[in-house]
Amino acid sequence: MTDLKQQHTPSIQPSSEEERILPSGEREFFFDVSTSDLEINMGPQHPATHGVMRVLLRTDGELVTGAQPHLGYLHRCAEKIGENVEWLQYLPYTDRYDYLSAMNNNLGYSLAVESLMPELEIPRRATLIRTICAELNRIASALIAYGTYGLDIGAFTPFFYAFREREWIQALFEKICGARLTYSFIRIGGVFNDAPPGWLKEVGMFCDVFEEKWREYYDLLVENHLFVMRTKDIGIISEEMAYDFGLTGPMLRGSGVDFDLRRDMPYMDYKEIWDAGVYQIPLGRGEKGTTGDCWDRFYVRVQEMMESIKIVRYCLEVIEAGPVIGDVPKVIKVPPGEGYVGIENPRGELGHYVHSDGGKIAVRCRVRAPSFVNLAVLEDLMPGTLLADSVAIIGSTDIVVGETDR
Amino acid sequence: MEFQAIVDRLRALNAPGIVEVDEPRAPDKETKDKGRSGRPFVMIEPASLVDILHLCRDDERLQMEVLIDITASDPAVDDANLWILVELLSVKHRHRLALKALLPKANPVLPSATAIYRAAQWHERECAEMYGVTFEGHPDPRNILLPDDWVGHPMRKDYEFPTEYHGISCE
Repeated sequence: MTDLKQQHTPSIQPSSEEERILPSGEREFFFDVSTSDLEINMGPQHPATHGVMRVLLRTDGELVTGAQPHLGYLHRCAEKIGENVEWLQYLPYTDRYDYLSAMNNNLGYSLAVESLMPELEIPRRATLIRTICAELNRIASALIAYGTYGLDIGAFTPFFYAFREREWIQALFEKICGARLTYSFIRIGGVFNDAPPGWLKEVGMFCDVFEEKWREYYDLLVENHLFVMRTKDIGIISEEMAYDFGLTGPMLRGSGVDFDLRRDMPYMDYKEIWDAGVYQIPLGRGEKGTTGDCWDRFYVRVQEMMESIKIVRYCLEVIEAGPVIGDVPKVIKVPPGEGYVGIENPRGELGHYVHSDGGKIAVRCRVRAPSFVNLAVLEDLMPGTLLADSVAIIGSTDIVVGETDR
Repeated sequence: MEFQAIVDRLRALNAPGIVEVDEPRAPDKETKDKGRSGRPFVMIEPASLVDILHLCRDDERLQMEVLIDITASDPAVDDANLWILVELLSVKHRHRLALKALLPKANPVLPSATAIYRAAQWHERECAEMYGVTFEGHPDPRNILLPDDWVGHPMRKDYEFPTEYHGISCE
């Protein structure tokens, strides 16, 4: 970095009075130009930061020489609240860290609490409804990532296409639990209620339609020449860098690392689904430029939508009638213990460390938020890039500020 | 590797500062032990945390490339210790390891792990502001989620909630 900066630092300070007279006899005027770096606040209210986050950019002309994310504008003390409310009362707060994938957050918290309750059995129908909801929510979340990344780059149209299908997913969630964004549907012990009549059939219809529409997304943005030129070969995260920063999820797979918690450390029924050969793990392969660039990460997310559809289809095939919630009392008392469960959220590993002393309230409820960890890579990724690319790089990390700040 | 195999490997490597292995146990009515559910931890000395992290990352059979989490926990107001909780993941071997260290509240100082894992940087900043743990050798020890002028460590169990902030009443 220091080399780049030295090259770009203009030096127009005259050493003596004589240098001011040009060989032609004309007098040249020098101005006292300040050549220090310019600091720009990108945010807290900037459309490309996807929420209230501020990135302090240090620029030398068009060149970014440093970037420092400043967080905390959306800090709502989720972990402290977790130590002050009952186990089930905390569930609605989990909706609000990554509000684009609330089902997955509910799931992560529920699985963590259930890991402390070895006697609790989760009915199979509940597990399958959980999987369907989590995967549908993953698609909805990836659609936002797809649409807003296009917006960041300057492509407005794909955003509206993405919201068309997302609207249907939200309507499906509204039918099953009454909420469109913050569901609190996946509970400790199972799910809140059974799917209404015809719901599973409509999910099947959605899958049929979505497979056709996915082709549209692909044509609109993924292979779009302008888009590819804006996103390839920038923001390259190597495998070592991804490990070093603890990246997970599509950020890690975009760098070509074949790791997905659903397959490699299976929870719920994902092992069975993988063994049935239903889905693949998409990886960044450097098809357009270098492995681990912004386009790779973006394309991993786009491909994951189709994999999720396959998982949903499998669940629809094997689901049978039965109870949807285990034997859980109204006021849950969790046996003493401590555990950590990490699940594959749309943005990476969402981990919950829960500690119970046997009472109605948690002693500690730690949230390991994937966006928080993934964002840290910006400090290393941005220096040396052009100012115009900084938006593309921030967009490719696909953060949700509700989750970074919690 | 399974948890026991990881512990055996650590012992075979003469990892410094391993205190004991804290495993879940079933409740016992005779001794009125309520038991402990959940997952096993390796209890370590806080001073040897960095050495153990080095071993875990560099050993071929452990090879935990990813630091998932560093955090603390304050079990009770009258407890003399904070708990430091570290979660490691091996992408290659597909195993996890959880470390736990007891850090006295009277002098909560811990060596920073940023030289081993860059991921530790933000986790440690959060842990420092929320629990008042000092990470020695941290390159950028500012607050991360809280304002720079925040007083106290909010996640401590004995934290007193402020009644006002810059003239804004919060009662």
